[in-house]
Amino acid sequence: MVFNSLDFFIFLFIVFVLYWLLFKKHVKIQNIFLLVVSYIFYGWWDWRFLSLILLSTTVDYFVGIMIDSNTKQSKRKQWLWVSVLFNVGLLGFFKYYNFFVDSWIDMFSMFGYHIKSTWTLKVILPVGISFYTFQTMSYSFDIYYNKLKPTRDFLSFAAFVSFFPQLVAGPIERASNLLSQITNKRTFSYNQSVSGLKLILWGLFKKVVIADSLAPIVDDIFANYSNYPASTLILGVTLFSFQVYGDFSGYSDIAIGTAKLFGIELKSNFKFPNFSRNVAEYWQRWHVSLSTWFRHYVYIPLGGSRVSKLKSVRNIIIIFLVSGFWHGANWTFIAWGAFHALAFIPVFLMGRNTIYKNSVVGENSLFPSLIEIGQVLLTFSIVTFSRIFFRSESITDAFAFIKRILSNFTYEVYNHPMGYRMVDYYILIVLFVLYEYRIRKDERAPFKFKSKIVRFIIYTIVILGMLLFYDSNIDRSFIYFQF
Amino acid sequence: MKKLFLKTALYAILILIALEVIVRVFHLAKDNPSRFVDKYKVEKWMPNQEGYSVTGNRRQNFSKFYINKSGYNSYREFTPSKEEVEVALVGDSFIEGFHQNYYNSIGKKIENRVTDIEVYEYGYAGYDLADQLHLISAYKETFDKIDYVVLGLKFENDLFRGEYQVVQDRMHLESPLYKKAREIKLLVYTQNIGILEPLWKLAGKLASFGKKQKLVPEKVVTKEDIEARHLTYIKNFKSLIDKYGYDKERFVFLLDAKITPKLFLDYLHDNNFKYIDMYKPLSASKLPTTLIYDRHWNNHGREIIAELIADYIKQ
Repeated sequence: MVFNSLDFFIFLFIVFVLYWLLFKKHVKIQNIFLLVVSYIFYGWWDWRFLSLILLSTTVDYFVGIMIDSNTKQSKRKQWLWVSVLFNVGLLGFFKYYNFFVDSWIDMFSMFGYHIKSTWTLKVILPVGISFYTFQTMSYSFDIYYNKLKPTRDFLSFAAFVSFFPQLVAGPIERASNLLSQITNKRTFSYNQSVSGLKLILWGLFKKVVIADSLAPIVDDIFANYSNYPASTLILGVTLFSFQVYGDFSGYSDIAIGTAKLFGIELKSNFKFPNFSRNVAEYWQRWHVSLSTWFRHYVYIPLGGSRVSKLKSVRNIIIIFLVSGFWHGANWTFIAWGAFHALAFIPVFLMGRNTIYKNSVVGENSLFPSLIEIGQVLLTFSIVTFSRIFFRSESITDAFAFIKRILSNFTYEVYNHPMGYRMVDYYILIVLFVLYEYRIRKDERAPFKFKSKIVRFIIYTIVILGMLLFYDSNIDRSFIYFQF
Repeated sequence: MKKLFLKTALYAILILIALEVIVRVFHLAKDNPSRFVDKYKVEKWMPNQEGYSVTGNRRQNFSKFYINKSGYNSYREFTPSKEEVEVALVGDSFIEGFHQNYYNSIGKKIENRVTDIEVYEYGYAGYDLADQLHLISAYKETFDKIDYVVLGLKFENDLFRGEYQVVQDRMHLESPLYKKAREIKLLVYTQNIGILEPLWKLAGKLASFGKKQKLVPEKVVTKEDIEARHLTYIKNFKSLIDKYGYDKERFVFLLDAKITPKLFLDYLHDNNFKYIDMYKPLSASKLPTTLIYDRHWNNHGREIIAELIADYIKQ
């Protein structure tokens, strides 16, 4: 049941009505209901993997209690390791096991030892495992660092882990934000619900109009990169930048909007990263929940930036490599992480990694300055270049793609694989960028216009856009589901 | 929560109205002409209608059609005489040609290639050989005056039946409910782009909810099955020819020999049925011959077909 399906909207409507009509009286009943519907939502994909969520929930629930009940630091640490080993073990088995086995085999074959790949397993990656394991681990970490008291309410904790709007692709919530809302009774708020519906609409637009409509073009260019000139390859990776942004930020908006319908505020996951003025700002705006997770639970425990420059650089490299590896068991993601580390380090060494933390491009003016435009374009280009690694099937393909750009630097008109007018997509991207620039100051209010008429016109255009670019023939699943 | 539902419903209604206006103003949805069954039980379009055929979400294919007095899409009226040379193209949507301006049809393209000739396009979406031969038989007087008759034939699609009867499924589309629904252009548009498909599927699922569904094991189609089917189709062919008549001198089939079984081609050959094979020129084309959204011929494909028929007539 994906967010952009009819099934989901029927499910959402029924759950929303029942939640506020029948189950609003007691927080316990609200949470039991949330837990049941979340498990139904997840079980819609594959009910067998519900046991993994339940197991992860149970382990971290008891680990949390055990950490808190022990005053001795070494014991607390031992229990924290139980959580880390269990969750990372789950991830390792389902997501990384085959990668490690294959990598070992490849390494041996480099030295002339050819081993048959009999150790690899045929296992399906459970949807959302990278997200909920990180979420439950954050709970144990927060208790370990004395930032949170463990809950004794198993149902609330289970509802926190499996809360359906963000279960399969985030935002990865910290218990201090989400659990505290789940343990308190929610009351219906008209404004919150309206704000949620608006976010759902905007998220759907980004998914259907931006991501899905660009997908066939990107797929074609990356599948046939060896036949295209540099101009087409640059077009392909640029459009992929918009595709992946539309896809993932669209998903996050729908998740945040859906949570709002149930009286719950999730953290923002995307803050217009395409308008970042350097790579550091980009990471403060792209997949915020994951970068925050790594900052809190990896970077800072390693010493963060409060150690020597050399160690800080090491820490930066570690979190970017781990972050890359989190995305998938493929060298392409590690290379992607490494590339970002290399792009981040100069910004860090120049002390410019936090200068844009509390501002947006064109902060006090209608238009950005020429310098800002240059900065944004440069950052976008760097990030887009890194996407070659992110999108390529293998590291060999990624380098061949880059080589092709450099060695075949020619221009040719690109024709849509299905014969559609390409100019439609160029106009779409320009309008999308201009609109996002207009709303850049508040990622949670995509339709913030004083005039009701203007708002109505925008809603109509957004829905019309979905009709104009809807394609029933394309795969409409979300890119980040595979992670 | 009541306020939320009321306001959402109000917004939804207003947005639907706005979208209906936009779809009409920008002509995003196709016009559906009305059909009827005439006194000879021939199904055709109501005469003297015009409109636009639209394909694609963003009006990627947009063309005007005009239904003449005979009930077919054509820029000319069909007035055959013994003195003039006329050609009739009889077939399905490929001949009907809603996908292209009616002034740029296959018939017009043939007329541009062969001087002093009139081409009448008796094209109607869904016509099979039974429809075609029944039409010719019903309007015998008219067709007797026509010098050449080209019949479009797809072996796998057009020989399901050995006798003509009005196709009630198509005529149901003329029920008051369907007619009313077609007036809502937003509905036509959303239906055409496939966005309503999940909704219809769901409705189908709900309708069959609780009903016991027989599990029919998927049948493996054997070579014998295919042969038997082909024999049935040939039997239907013979039956249609016997019932409605066929002038082997004036009539010719337009078919794709690549997708037509050898058995049938041999039968045609052995029994002196003439045919024009469109496979070679279409497959030899370096440019695409069909539209983006469906398999109908695009302008280039039509040029090729027109050339092929014109060459046949010239011979």
